Amino acid sequence: MAEEMASGRRRPTRWLDLRGRHEGAWAYALNRLTGIGLVAYLYVHLGVLSLLAHGPSTWNSFLATSKAPFFTALDALVLLGVLFHSLNGIRLGLTGVGAAVRWHQLLLRSLMALAVVLFLVAGLLWSIRG
Amino acid sequence: MRAGFGVEKRSTLSWLWQAATGVLLLPLLALHIIANHFVVTGGERNFAEVASYLGNPVIKVLEVLFLVVVTSHAMLGVRSILFDMGVPRRSRPAVSWAVTALGVVTVAYGIWLTITISR
Amino acid sequence: MTEEAASIDLEVLRYRPGEQARLENFSVVVAAGAKVLDALDTIWATQDHSLMFRRACHHSSCGACAMRINGRERLACITAMADAAQEHHPIRVEPLHNLPVVGDLVVDVAGFFARMTASDLVITRTAEPELPVSVDRLPPPLRLRQVVVAEDLGRFTRFESCIECGICVSVCPSMAADDGFLGPAALAGIHRTREATRDPMESAHLLALADGDGGVWRCHSSFECTASCPQAVDPAGRIMSLRGQIVSRRWGRLWRR
Repeated sequence: MAEEMASGRRRPTRWLDLRGRHEGAWAYALNRLTGIGLVAYLYVHLGVLSLLAHGPSTWNSFLATSKAPFFTALDALVLLGVLFHSLNGIRLGLTGVGAAVRWHQLLLRSLMALAVVLFLVAGLLWSIRG
Repeated sequence: MRAGFGVEKRSTLSWLWQAATGVLLLPLLALHIIANHFVVTGGERNFAEVASYLGNPVIKVLEVLFLVVVTSHAMLGVRSILFDMGVPRRSRPAVSWAVTALGVVTVAYGIWLTITISR
Repeated sequence: MTEEAASIDLEVLRYRPGEQARLENFSVVVAAGAKVLDALDTIWATQDHSLMFRRACHHSSCGACAMRINGRERLACITAMADAAQEHHPIRVEPLHNLPVVGDLVVDVAGFFARMTASDLVITRTAEPELPVSVDRLPPPLRLRQVVVAEDLGRFTRFESCIECGICVSVCPSMAADDGFLGPAALAGIHRTREATRDPMESAHLLALADGDGGVWRCHSSFECTASCPQAVDPAGRIMSLRGQIVSRRWGRLWRR
C-alpha cells in the first residue's frame, strides 16, 4: 500500500468504493455490474440453448426443471438487471452526446421508477401466463 | 507536454457503436423477451414450439440480428472494462482482436444452433 | 453556535515514502467556526512540526488544501470542524486519490499540471482588462488568444472558477483506472480554451486531443467530478459538451460528402 501511495499507481477497482459518492457514481457502478452480469448470463443462456440441439426430450425435460423457484428467481434477477442497464443506458446515450446533461439525476430517478413499474408489470403478466 | 497524451487514436467510433447497438437492442430485446416468454402459455416454448418459432424466416433473421447486436454490445463493453481495469496500452490491439474473435465465435455458434433446430 | 472552544479529535494519515502509512490521532482545541485547515495549522504549530500539508489562501481561491475529509474530497479551508465532527468523530483526514503521495497530506501535482498545460488553458493574464473590453483595443499580436469579454460575460467567467484543486481528479473512477486519461480538469480546460480562442488550428488540435486516446471517451459518466467541484466548474457537463461537438462535427462531415 505504501508503494502504491508513493507511485500513485492506479486502482482499477476504485469504482466499487462508493463511500462519499453521489448518485451518478452509483449508477455507473451498477451499470458496469449489470453489464458484467448480463455478459455472464448471455453465455449461460447460450449454453442452456445448446440442449435444443440434442432433441425434444432433452429440451422438454430441462424445461420441467426450469419451473423450480430457483430458476424463476434467477430470471427475475436477470430481468431487473436488463431493465436497469437498458434504461440507464438510454440516460448514458443521451448525456453522452451532450443532451440533457443538466437533468441527468432527474433522468436517473424517473428511469428507475419506470424500471420498477415494468418489472411489476412483467411479474403480473408472468403470474397470469406462467 | 502535449506529446504525452494521445491524439491519434479514434475512440469515438467505439463509443458510438456501443450507443448504436444499445439503441437497437431496445426493440430487439423487447421483441425477443416477449416472443419467447410472454406469448406461449407456461412462458417457455417447448421443443416443438421453438422449432416452429424459428421455422419462420423473418423470425430467424430477427433472432440472428438480435444475437449479432447483443454480442457486439457485450464485446464492446467487455473490451471497455478490460481497458479500464489496467490492460497496458501496448496490449490493447491484442485484446481488441481477442474480444472480436470471441464475438465472431459466439455469433457463429448461434447461427449454427438456429439452423440445427429449424432443420 | 456558542463561542466556546471545543476539543475535537482527528485521525490524520501519516506517510513517508518507504514507510507504512498509518493513521495518527490528534486532539485539538479550536474556536467555534474553525475550519479543518485551522486544526491542521494548530497541530503543526503546537503538536507536530513534521505534519506535511499544503495551504495558502485559506478562502477557497487557491485550491492548495484539497484533501479527503471523512472520506469525501473537499477544501479544508471551508470545511467546518463542527460539521465534520458531526459527520464522523474522530474526523478522518487523508490525501487526495489518484495522485502520488509525497508525504502525509501532500500529493505530487506534476502530472495534474502537465494535463492542464496540454489543455492550453491560459490561467494567468498579463494584465486585468477593463470591462467592457473590445478586441479593437488590443494590440494585434494579442488578439488571437486574448479572452474577449465584450458580451456574454457569463459564458467565460464560469471556468475562471477553476482553482486547480484536483478534487475532480481524485473522485474520478477513470482517473483511478487509467494513467493516460486527461481527466476532468484538463478536459474542462480544453472546453474552456476552445470557447475563448480565435485560433482555428488550436481549436481543432484541442478537439482532436479531446477525441483521442486519453480523451472524453474514457469518461464513463459518473458525474462525480461535477458533484464534488467546490467551484461549480461542471467538468462533466463540459466533457459531454465536447463529445457533442465531436459527434456533430463527424455527422456534418458525413453529410457533406
